[in-house]
Amino acid sequence: MTQQWDTTVSSDEKPTEKARAIRARQRAIGRELRRMYDDVAQEPVPDDFMDLLRQIDEASEKGGKVS
Amino acid sequence: MPTPAPSPHSHKPENPDFKTELLGLVPFLRAFARSLTGNQEAADDLAQETLVKAWQSRASFIPGTNLKAWLFTILRNQFYSDRRRAWRQAPWDQDAAERIPGGGEDQVHSAELSDTVRALKHLSDEQREALILVGAGGFSYEDAAAICKCAVGTVKSRVARARKTLIEILDGGDTLGDASRPAGGDAAREIMAQLDQLSPGRAEALGKKRPK
Repeated sequence: MTQQWDTTVSSDEKPTEKARAIRARQRAIGRELRRMYDDVAQEPVPDDFMDLLRQIDEASEKGGKVS
Repeated sequence: MPTPAPSPHSHKPENPDFKTELLGLVPFLRAFARSLTGNQEAADDLAQETLVKAWQSRASFIPGTNLKAWLFTILRNQFYSDRRRAWRQAPWDQDAAERIPGGGEDQVHSAELSDTVRALKHLSDEQREALILVGAGGFSYEDAAAICKCAVGTVKSRVARARKTLIEILDGGDTLGDASRPAGGDAAREIMAQLDQLSPGRAEALGKKRPK
């Protein structure tokens, strides 16, 4: 997954100091973005969502319609 | 027709697994929605709308395919259609997300939001979503392309440009002013995206010469 971050630096190019620096920056950006995303994904799911799924449950028992 | 597809309207018994999987993917829907809107409240509304839409369209989901990608596609469609319908959606606004009280610990945490995350608001929607899907969501370029309804090469160039723009912003301060650019900027970005597709090397070179 992390290696996707390396793909903008063309592989046929000899890794120069600059290219290495760019890759390091890109990895750092990747870490930050994953942190933001994972932080939200790890939050407990708010009750609203559970209520909604309960409604879906009840509706599906009555015939699959969610109002 | 040797193997007729099951009619989407056929009354199959409800699949409890579908609901369980849906529930399990809610955290990711919330995360993707948050990164699209930059706002917790709008994001959760969007994620809930997505759940309802997904449930209503469950017959069109092909079992065995990527449910997460399917849900993300619905969420993304919903995001853009909400936007088109009314301009009630504020532009991507991480600052609003930070103002939402979310418990003491969250508060401290969001105060530490990195410059990288703040800089996201300077990306176009297209670049931001591509970067988030591939860079944070762990989707392949192919899946991200399916979600964004564009070519794989387009996703690649959007991700590359997004990263490049972020680095420029982080290096040079907020000098690009992407967010304050008039709508005409979209056309320019579109042209750049097409250039990227035609000739990645050349577009890259052009990009480097872009005045700050």
